[in-house]
Amino acid sequence: MNGEEHLIEHMMNPQNYGNLPDNNAMGMGKNPNNGEKVAIYLKVVENKEKFDGEPFIEDINFQAIGCSTTIVAGSIITSEAKGITFSRAEELVSITIGMLDNIPPEDAACSEMVALALKAAIDTYAERKKDADFPVISYHINTDCTPKEEN
Amino acid sequence: MKVLFKEIHELWLATQFTGFMSQTSSRQELYEFSNIMFKHLTWIENDFIKQDISYTYDINQVPIKVTHISVMINDLIRRIKSIESKLDSCKDEHITFRMKSDLTYITSVLEKFPEEEVESSFDSNREYPNVELTTTARDALTVFLFEEIYKEYELILVYNYSKANSTDAFLNRIFQILIDESFFHLRSFGQMMADMGILSVPRSLMEEIYKFDNLGQFLKDGIEEEKGAKEECKKLAQAVSDSSEHFASFFTFINNQENYHIALMEEALEYTNNK
Repeated sequence: MNGEEHLIEHMMNPQNYGNLPDNNAMGMGKNPNNGEKVAIYLKVVENKEKFDGEPFIEDINFQAIGCSTTIVAGSIITSEAKGITFSRAEELVSITIGMLDNIPPEDAACSEMVALALKAAIDTYAERKKDADFPVISYHINTDCTPKEEN
Repeated sequence: MKVLFKEIHELWLATQFTGFMSQTSSRQELYEFSNIMFKHLTWIENDFIKQDISYTYDINQVPIKVTHISVMINDLIRRIKSIESKLDSCKDEHITFRMKSDLTYITSVLEKFPEEEVESSFDSNREYPNVELTTTARDALTVFLFEEIYKEYELILVYNYSKANSTDAFLNRIFQILIDESFFHLRSFGQMMADMGILSVPRSLMEEIYKFDNLGQFLKDGIEEEKGAKEECKKLAQAVSDSSEHFASFFTFINNQENYHIALMEEALEYTNNK
């Protein structure tokens, strides 16, 4: 499957889309300028037998109000994040945002919003270990995504 | 009853999208059956409202990627059986009697549907039969169809939710027209997606999309979105005009239809503001 087919496949069948009723952490990525948002739901497990007790993402889902790019980014990033530890998930967020530094902000906005939603979910989980009533964390982006103008 | 509601919603979509795959007279029958299933959905919804039970439009993803239509037909029959087994969860016997009667008939017709190969609805070739599309036009059309099939599904549910939860005859007339218009667009775009090998069921809606507090703001945002859609249609009409006169005129037609939607929403907004 080439890159184009891979993207079409994610558009046709976005992975991990929908609510996750038994989640124990949630995070939001938002664009306050246009109302676009991504919610990421995590089912986090801490098991001494696995990853030395470090929290890991047993299950992950996302929902979005946004464009097709947001859905494709959500599908890819959540697929990568499923089954990994928090430290690796943090790395995934950093690598994603680092890669996005190389492209124009308006093209990066949707993927950045997904990465920030994952970070927000991880941070919400950590805060709720200290305070069970801690509100869901939202991180904001400031650039609108621009639908690709075809050449 | 909430599981019943969710399964009817999924059956409605599975039936509608199986219709897009078909190239035979089965298509029209599947369209009619999906209309009946949507009606069932509104009946159960109305029962929720009468009983003051909160509900959502949450659904599981509906897989439809198959090589032969018989696989989907068997899936529809399986879904119907599951629904029939849950009809007792709705205590309104008049509704469940009508639904049972409809579903029994639909099953008997589905069982006789001819086999069809439908692999081409999912092969991602992104070519339109008898039309030479440039790469630019093909890419633009692909993104447009993915965005708009979701948008039409969203609008059907948003207006349906608003209508179900309102007793205002003036607004409900407008909501019903907009629902009907969105059904037409959903079907037009769904058929095009099947023809281009990129057919897929739209993702489920976030609850806050249809459970909004401020109808006026929703209408204002909706008018802006419709204006954006008009621009997209104009651009698409230009992008495909060299490849296909038929496509160009279709998108000009859709663009002009958006004017009607905007006029209806402006009418609803003015009415809401003056209430």
